[in-house]
Amino acid sequence: MPIILTTQAYCKMLLHAAKYPHCAVNGLLVAEKTKDNKKDPSAPVLCVDCVPLFHGTLALAPMLEVALTLIDTWCKENRYFIAGYYQANERTKDFRPNQVAEKVAARIAENFGETAIVMVDSNRLTMSCFEPIVVIFDHHENKWKSRDVNQDCFEDWCEAQKITSSLLEGRSYEQLIDFDNHLDDLRNDWTNPVINKSVLDLC
Amino acid sequence: FKMRDKLRKWREDNCRNSEQIVDVGEELISDHGSKLGDDVWIIYEQVMIAALDCSRDDLAMTCLQELRKQFPDSHRVKRLSGMRLEALERYDEATKYYEAILQDDPTNTAARKRKISILKAQGKPAEAIRELNEYLEQFVGDQEAWHELSELYINEHDYGKAAFCLEELMMTNPHNHLYCEQYAEVKYTQGGLDNLELSRKYFAQALRLNNRNMRALFGLYMSASHIAASPKVGAKVKKDNIKYAAWAANQINRAYKLAGRGTKENKCSVKAVEEMLESMQITMS
Repeated sequence: MPIILTTQAYCKMLLHAAKYPHCAVNGLLVAEKTKDNKKDPSAPVLCVDCVPLFHGTLALAPMLEVALTLIDTWCKENRYFIAGYYQANERTKDFRPNQVAEKVAARIAENFGETAIVMVDSNRLTMSCFEPIVVIFDHHENKWKSRDVNQDCFEDWCEAQKITSSLLEGRSYEQLIDFDNHLDDLRNDWTNPVINKSVLDLC
Repeated sequence: FKMRDKLRKWREDNCRNSEQIVDVGEELISDHGSKLGDDVWIIYEQVMIAALDCSRDDLAMTCLQELRKQFPDSHRVKRLSGMRLEALERYDEATKYYEAILQDDPTNTAARKRKISILKAQGKPAEAIRELNEYLEQFVGDQEAWHELSELYINEHDYGKAAFCLEELMMTNPHNHLYCEQYAEVKYTQGGLDNLELSRKYFAQALRLNNRNMRALFGLYMSASHIAASPKVGAKVKKDNIKYAAWAANQINRAYKLAGRGTKENKCSVKAVEEMLESMQITMS
């Protein structure tokens, strides 16, 4: 039940945080629905992608509801499901999940009990990305507890490190689209095909 | 000069695109500094602040030193020195700088705002809120301050007080669709039938002021749908809200179709929106 991140998911989270260094940012993590019906509770869940949601004020409900519903529909079409939530706080020294994070995670948990909260530790965000800068929280006994993060939390850490670093240096975050950008102009595509292609090209 | 115009536009719009400002500004200053005339000082200020955002202390110091040479006793320049200390996280020193400015000139609003920003940066939201409230008692017309206060309250989940700040802003800016729309979002988040109805009205008002505000359109749809689905409303209210929601859904669909014209990528979004609207209509009836 621990989540694992693909390069694309990790990369886009960091690009989102890098695009708005002076704001809090958040988004959803999605995983693929697997065919086997017997759910092995210890099998890791692979988060293949993320959808960047908002930047700035995260604590308002209506657009979040719209985003969750829309993304849920999109997930169904692509055989994904929402498996987690990420957030980077406004203050770099602060990487604990706050009330917003817990509320959204609780909402996601209604459909997927093993929802995780991934907090991005912006304090350690660098171009070279030598170490993973996420802190993963799981829900145990009504509390969110952090888990040790190491290379095992990634599908391929070396690839993730190289590609994320390359995209940060190339300022790809300028092209990252989040749901806020989409609401500003509907032509902005929150599935980020441009960035996805860049990631694929570097693989 | 294109570069000069870009910088001016960014100043006027209060954009925080610091990397771009540093790129353009640094080149402008080093290659064309002599041709800028008196504009150079405001550009130094703009570039300096952007440089702080990008951790370019070298560039920030260059700008600051030029400004200090030209305006040795200026409070405006002293504030920039303070901001540099803030960027280096030397908050106590920065606070002293600002307090010195205020001793000299108690009405200096910039210094007071910087002190409040420091409280925010240090993770002391309650104190920031208290100071900002005191500030607003004196400077009741400062819109930027009211907006900042509304954001601080929202982050503390004190939606009632955030709504009050936005009401102040709407009173003095009745044609601003963004304030209407934000007020509606706060009311919606507060919850409860009365607040939902209020939020619907203000989403509608925002749309009247700007019919392309997608957040207002979605907000109208969501609030009307929730009201129609509520067991506490009478038949007429339910019927009216179903009408509003249906109208909004129609507009949303149109907007997506318009946006998706000619692009393959957005086909996914259009379909997702249609399905979302259909699924919600089922829950309403």
